[in-house]
Amino acid sequence: MPQRPTSSLAACVWIPLFPLRCEEARREGLVTHPSALLAPDLSRKLWQVSPLARHTGVRPGMTVSQAIGLCPALRLCEPDPVHYDGCFARLLAALNEISPVIEAGELGLAYLGTDGLEGIYGEPRRIIEVIKRTLESWNDSIVPSFRVGWGKGKFIAWVAATRAKPGDAVIVSPGETGRFLAAQPIAVLPLDPDTHRRLRQLGIRTLGALAALPEEAVTAQFGAVGRRLWRLAAGRTVEPVVGSIAPEPIVAALTFFTPVGERDLIERAIDQLIARALKDPRRIGWRVQAVRLVAEVEGGRSWLADLLLKDPAADGARIAAPLRTRLEQAPPAGAVTRLVLELTAFAPGTTELQLFARDAVAAARAGQRRALESAAREIHQRLKRTCLYHVIEVQPWSRLPERRYALIDYEP
Amino acid sequence: MRADRLRSLNVPRPVTVVLNADGLPRSVGDATVDVTLEAWRIDDEWWRSPITRRYVEVVLEGGGRLVLFEDMTTKMWFAQKP
Repeated sequence: MPQRPTSSLAACVWIPLFPLRCEEARREGLVTHPSALLAPDLSRKLWQVSPLARHTGVRPGMTVSQAIGLCPALRLCEPDPVHYDGCFARLLAALNEISPVIEAGELGLAYLGTDGLEGIYGEPRRIIEVIKRTLESWNDSIVPSFRVGWGKGKFIAWVAATRAKPGDAVIVSPGETGRFLAAQPIAVLPLDPDTHRRLRQLGIRTLGALAALPEEAVTAQFGAVGRRLWRLAAGRTVEPVVGSIAPEPIVAALTFFTPVGERDLIERAIDQLIARALKDPRRIGWRVQAVRLVAEVEGGRSWLADLLLKDPAADGARIAAPLRTRLEQAPPAGAVTRLVLELTAFAPGTTELQLFARDAVAAARAGQRRALESAAREIHQRLKRTCLYHVIEVQPWSRLPERRYALIDYEP
Repeated sequence: MRADRLRSLNVPRPVTVVLNADGLPRSVGDATVDVTLEAWRIDDEWWRSPITRRYVEVVLEGGGRLVLFEDMTTKMWFAQKP
């Protein structure tokens, strides 16, 4: 497997309240009113609150009735996670034009590796200017709220971004790292509430105060977490930006038992192929930008649809939509015997909708998959044949039961 | 590229069926048919190689349920999950 590119010098681009900013960008006048976004679950509580709404006392986690009681003029927005994720994917793609090393954080937070960019753009200040220009061309209505930080390692870049004013940047040159960190509040550390409370009880308010303590003492008191916090506070840890490598084309194919001519049946088969291709582990962290569908048609003919998606997507329906349109406008000239779907180009993105795939859940799922793959490889090595299969739908609409489902080799 | 070596599921299994005077299964292999529940017919692919099947759902002595069909072209009987 090719090694993922890394960079120790990092620029952090942070757009606080990213989903709310996306709503403001597409709803005229919303930015001038107190507004809030509802949580993307069934709780009907507030998720994100605009600064204007905060001034009236509205806070995230409040119920709608509480919020309206405090601020009758509050404008509420239903969440649209697909839209926010699409906006974020486009942001990552734009940043990818500046640096090949891009690491996505939560929605609205991205790191760019800047090792070697001095040779192209010049000193860090110049790199930041390029980032600002790129952000302006990406979406000028969201731009006023962005913050940029630059420093050695992701943590320093992140802290610098949190210290920057909206639309501005803070650069921490390597020689200034110690002094910069020492003055920062401990809240910038990745702390759980209990550790935060304990540190405050000990009178530790700044990273400088924490770093002044002996490393062993902090480790003895807080364990491995404490050691990590101390090293971050002292500037001893440099977490590099870890980019991704665009995967090779991902292919999924389906051979029909009998040639299929009905469009709706072909469309169902396309949906299945897209679902299969999207599940490929190589696609994790990437959105599909280009897709090719090849149909082998009875009589030795073929049919091809080569499409570039306007918005890179990881959602099956969005990928299928232009293929359906093409199928409707220019269908194959005969019954289809075999369909081959290729995802041929990718844009940086996230595994799934960030709002629903929290890190812990995604990590657990990835761990399960790795364990399954490892077990499958071991079985294959021992028995020299594949003994594990997927059950896939082939022609679930068929009136003949043996044509509805089939087994396909499970190949990790 | 992912291999697409498909193995069909629920392939019909040939069985020996003895019919009664009404043309319904009386026994399947060594098992006696207790009740015939339902019968239906499938005609498909008449434009290519016609497939015509007469399905019968039966309950065997002892309570086991079984779906059988007769391939009307070859007159052979098969067992298959519906």
